[in-house]
Amino acid sequence: MFYRIIRRDIRTSKGITLMTMLFVAAAAMLVSLSAILVVNLSGAIDHLMTQAKTPHFLQMHSGQLDQARLKAFAEQNNKVEDYQVLDFLNVEGARIVMDGHTLADSVQDNGFSTQSGKFDYLLDLDGNVIDVRGGEVYVPISYMKDGSVKAGGKVTVGDTSLTVAGFLRDSQMNSLLASSKRFLVSTEDYAELAQYGTTEYLIEFRLKDLSMLGAFETDYTAAGLEGNGPVITYPLFRVLNAISDGLMIAVILLASVLVVIIAFLCIRFTLMATIESDYREIGVMKAIGLRVSDLKKIYLAKYAAIAALGSILGLALSFSFRGLLLENIRLYMGESAHPALALACGILGVLLVFLVIVAYVNRVLKRFRKISAVEAIRFGTSQQTRTGSGRFTLSGNRLLNTNVYLGVKDVLSRKSLYATMLAVLVISSFLMIVPQNLYHTISSPSFITYMGIGDSDLRMDIQQTDHIAEKAADIARVMEQDVMIFRFAMLTTQALNVKLDNGVVERIKVELGDHSIFPVAYGEGHGPVAANEIALSAANAKELGKQAGDSLTLLVNGEAKELTVSGIYSDVTNGGKTAKATFTTTSDQAMWAVIYAELADSMLISSKVSEYAERFSYAKVSDIGEYVTQTFGSTISSVGKAAWAALAVMLVLNVLITLLFMRMLVAKDRYPIAVMKSMGFRNSDLTVQYYARSIFVLVTGMVLGTLLANTLGQILAGAVISSFGASSFKFVVHPLSAYLLCPLIMTGSVLIGAVIGTSGIGRIQISGNIKE
Amino acid sequence: MKKIISGENITKQYGTGEEQRKVLDEVSVDIHEGEFVSVMGPSGSGKSTLLFALSGMDRIDWGLVTFEGRDLGILEEDELADLRRTEMGFVFQQPTLMKNLNILDNIILPSMRGNRRKVAAITDKAQQLMQKVGIAELAKRDITEASGGQLQRAGICRALMGSPRIIFGDEPTGALNLKAAEEIMDLLSGINEEGTAIMLVTHDATVAARTQRIMFMCDGRIVDEIRLPKYSGGTLEPRMNLITAKMREIGI
Repeated sequence: MFYRIIRRDIRTSKGITLMTMLFVAAAAMLVSLSAILVVNLSGAIDHLMTQAKTPHFLQMHSGQLDQARLKAFAEQNNKVEDYQVLDFLNVEGARIVMDGHTLADSVQDNGFSTQSGKFDYLLDLDGNVIDVRGGEVYVPISYMKDGSVKAGGKVTVGDTSLTVAGFLRDSQMNSLLASSKRFLVSTEDYAELAQYGTTEYLIEFRLKDLSMLGAFETDYTAAGLEGNGPVITYPLFRVLNAISDGLMIAVILLASVLVVIIAFLCIRFTLMATIESDYREIGVMKAIGLRVSDLKKIYLAKYAAIAALGSILGLALSFSFRGLLLENIRLYMGESAHPALALACGILGVLLVFLVIVAYVNRVLKRFRKISAVEAIRFGTSQQTRTGSGRFTLSGNRLLNTNVYLGVKDVLSRKSLYATMLAVLVISSFLMIVPQNLYHTISSPSFITYMGIGDSDLRMDIQQTDHIAEKAADIARVMEQDVMIFRFAMLTTQALNVKLDNGVVERIKVELGDHSIFPVAYGEGHGPVAANEIALSAANAKELGKQAGDSLTLLVNGEAKELTVSGIYSDVTNGGKTAKATFTTTSDQAMWAVIYAELADSMLISSKVSEYAERFSYAKVSDIGEYVTQTFGSTISSVGKAAWAALAVMLVLNVLITLLFMRMLVAKDRYPIAVMKSMGFRNSDLTVQYYARSIFVLVTGMVLGTLLANTLGQILAGAVISSFGASSFKFVVHPLSAYLLCPLIMTGSVLIGAVIGTSGIGRIQISGNIKE
Repeated sequence: MKKIISGENITKQYGTGEEQRKVLDEVSVDIHEGEFVSVMGPSGSGKSTLLFALSGMDRIDWGLVTFEGRDLGILEEDELADLRRTEMGFVFQQPTLMKNLNILDNIILPSMRGNRRKVAAITDKAQQLMQKVGIAELAKRDITEASGGQLQRAGICRALMGSPRIIFGDEPTGALNLKAAEEIMDLLSGINEEGTAIMLVTHDATVAARTQRIMFMCDGRIVDEIRLPKYSGGTLEPRMNLITAKMREIGI
């Protein structure tokens, strides 16, 4: 009898058995991959940062530098192990020509540097400290990845032409998220190139003990040393190096959890359908004293075999795919220091998947114990207790077709049975809608206002030059006369001292001008309007401990000026620590100026960009659309792809789960189906009843899923968005897609599952299932 | 009297090869308008299979079954379903009621198929029938709140809703106590009085004794039959004696 049941089980569920195994394989592969990737990534980052001797504290600085004062500070501070000041020659992208293409469109600050003497080494692709010769240049690895230039190619700046001798790994600036890129040249070539750019300084410290970093930062600030530029610390370098691959690993882990859940559901529904079909036999076996635990063991063995096969397959697949996924890590960071550990973790992960699945099957099989022998022999199916007839009666129903009524009624009376399917549908509609909304949000034109950038057509940056304020005013005068410019706003940024409540003075960057023309999105409060108002970026507000409505003392024109914080906004530009105000100062010491403009006709953007770029060579003119594409383009397109992938996966999942669930239900409901048929209900009536059940569950699931998506989903998406630097955020919902297309295709997928899953209704014989 | 159902050489077999077994072996039977028929025989003799075959619930392997001249063998599943719903009624040993519907809803269920707009008329008819069989007060109850006999009455009401030409009963009193069984038989007799043909399958001689024609089955064949005058109350003993004598005679 055991043999017969198992044989029938395999025969009737060949497809499902195979599918379950594939899901296990996929889950094992993903878990193994993420384990391998995590170990490799952290190992590779450690290895790279150790080899390169990454600085623990970096202050970027432009302007005057007092070497002697710095030296004195470093010698006196007992936390400092070593220190150095490196020159970084910032060269306008348009002046750098790589194999015939300029870097004019690059949003990175590209520049040249010589090999460091003490630490912060630039490494070649074998992890060795590069010794660069005259006439040669080593190019940041990201330009190798995007194919801008090949080894042996030429990099030309002005009259200087250098041969690309190779590519370099920069433990500081490897990541695309780091906004600067260092090209390595010899000392002689550096001197020759100096005329083409402006020098910035990288003031770098290695500490005796990294745990003293916080205290050291305070010391540095307190000493009032050079500070015109962002500060980056060792932990931040680690994060910058880890973030893009880390995100990929997080996605893989999430996907593996999802796949494990799907495998669970497959197993659960298949097993339940089997138990229902063989209910009478199992009952008989119990009644005649056979040990049902033996049957349980056979099932357990079957699923253990499936899980083992799947796990081995998954492990094998992960080994063949890991090369592909490790490629990026290897390229940017090199090999991990401990490859064997990665392997062990991968195998451990797969083992975990195997054990979890076997434990789950064991749990589902506990149902065998619950089967009542008497009930099974008498009725042949489980007599699930239903919650009675309730108030929703057929005789009182004027609205629904009888078959639809029966479908809805069944769901209402067996809620716990449908809970699993409902949960799947809630989750799947959630996972379909949230990525879609996220995609529509970040690809909408207003999104950049969450990033601290005004929504305009073009943007001109004037920096790293002298007389910034005057130059900006020149441009403003031209724009005033230009009929094609609909409106514009000129914002100059100055570094001003803010006096904190505890008396400490800090420098913050304040962007001055009219912020009402191209407003950014304020998470709290509003933009500065009156001269005594100031808006702070979220990062600054946090650091200064201010909220909207608080007051702030700024030292302007040598006098203390009381300002009210009018609002808080998110900013990803300039390290995220900025402020906005409308007052004017007598100082002409602008750090930089930005001019935003909106054109009368947006078709003219590219011609205006080139016109202004030609006319004002000292300004960097960018098309905002272009700027967004370069900065966030790859992210937007990945989110878009992810959204479509989620949609496709969820649709397949819907079909699969509905199919399995309906099959299980039909197996369970053989008796009532036979009774209905004996009363004269057609097969098509019964089918409609089952469709109605699935549609009713679907609609409930979609409503809940959509509600969740717009509440919890928005919060979750907000967390993702905040990793871009935006603090407050609301979904831009695409109603057509969220409220029409998604529901429609979900309905389609569930119906396909229901059609296939209920195809067995016609085969249910009245005589075989109703006989006394 | 006019034939309602006719079966000629009905053959039904299960299994293949050496394990092949004929459950119905060239059975021929006619049921006429207003007849009250019962089929008796030991377990496995093919009684229930015959009932399923004649009612179109089961396909046969050989032979012919007609309902008022229509060959059931060539009807589509849907046509058979429609026929069962509109012309036939069924009462089984278990009440076969839907657990998530109350008793009234169970009774009107088959009639409601495609007739949502006539719900008022259908409910009226159901209530009249419930009144007639004595369960009027149970209309709104769950099926777990009624006794086996009451549920069987509800099942009979459901069978009567479509004003069928014939009611098939497969051991309709098999799960009931003596008193409840007697009441159900009274009810069925009354229905037959009003002109509905009834075919019962039973082990129970007291049930068979209420009918007018008793067929005896053994090994898939009808081996004999007896006809009795209409039962008009009083003791069943003489009728039962006839039946048991016949059973002894044919050795079942």
